[in-house]
Amino acid sequence: MSSFVASGAGFGMPRLNSKTMKSKDASAKQNQIQEFEQQALPLMPQLYGAALRWTRNPSDAEDLVQETFAKAFVAWAQYQQGTNLKAWLYRIMTNTHINSFNKRAKDQAKGGLDDLEDWQLGSAESVTSLASRSAELEAIDNMPSETIKDALHQIPDEFRMVVYYAVVDGLPYAEIAEIMGTPVGTVMSRLHRGKKLLRSLLAEYAAQEGYDVSDNKDEVK
Amino acid sequence: MSEIDCQETKRHVHEYLHNELSDQELDDITAHLANCDSCETDYDLETLINGAIKQSCTEDVPQELAERVLAEIRRIQANGGVH
Repeated sequence: MSSFVASGAGFGMPRLNSKTMKSKDASAKQNQIQEFEQQALPLMPQLYGAALRWTRNPSDAEDLVQETFAKAFVAWAQYQQGTNLKAWLYRIMTNTHINSFNKRAKDQAKGGLDDLEDWQLGSAESVTSLASRSAELEAIDNMPSETIKDALHQIPDEFRMVVYYAVVDGLPYAEIAEIMGTPVGTVMSRLHRGKKLLRSLLAEYAAQEGYDVSDNKDEVK
Repeated sequence: MSEIDCQETKRHVHEYLHNELSDQELDDITAHLANCDSCETDYDLETLINGAIKQSCTEDVPQELAERVLAEIRRIQANGGVH
């Protein structure tokens, strides 16, 4: 740009003065903000949904959404048009959320959880009788949404997010792995374990409500 | 078509429901489910829980959030903006 300005100066070409430079710059910026508004901002409902699962309360979720969009906007030039924008934003959200906590403590807790054996993760194994599972079906069918949400919020963050992305967002495992920064195998095991934990929490609630979901093992094959 | 047992079928429930299996695995499990009440009930239960989870996660975005985000983006832009 500067060489163009220099050569243009002596040959009767319109010299780019600071005023036109500025307006050119401003219109480029305007395009960028428009692009971002049209492409990224419509994904706000999905981002807010995920943020609510990460933070478990509306006020923190709003902060997380705002911070995620702010970071995404700053990095907008790095987003490759045509690639999966939602996954890109979710990934920024994962990093933003995890960085806002003590990363080290977080990693340790995570490692511990993934190392737990299945038998340590609750009793809702599929060895209960058909009768008790019918009771479980009926109980869950009648459960208020708030109870389901409470149970979801009780399982560890990383398990909850995988359950959320798979079940609510319907994302493929490979995409969830990308968003969470883990191998696909970890996504699979966290989904299994997350659902198992959830199911045992729901069974506990069902039992409190008087449903007979006890562990009769009379029909195990 | 290969025979698979209950344990194998129950192990794959999430992969089945989230469409993460090969056609062969899908066929094997579908065949097993057609003949096994125990596994079928299990799959029904997981499907039901998935539906319940979906229903419990349908919060609306607060109205002022969009304005907040937009204001933040304009502020960033005014301060030097996108790199």
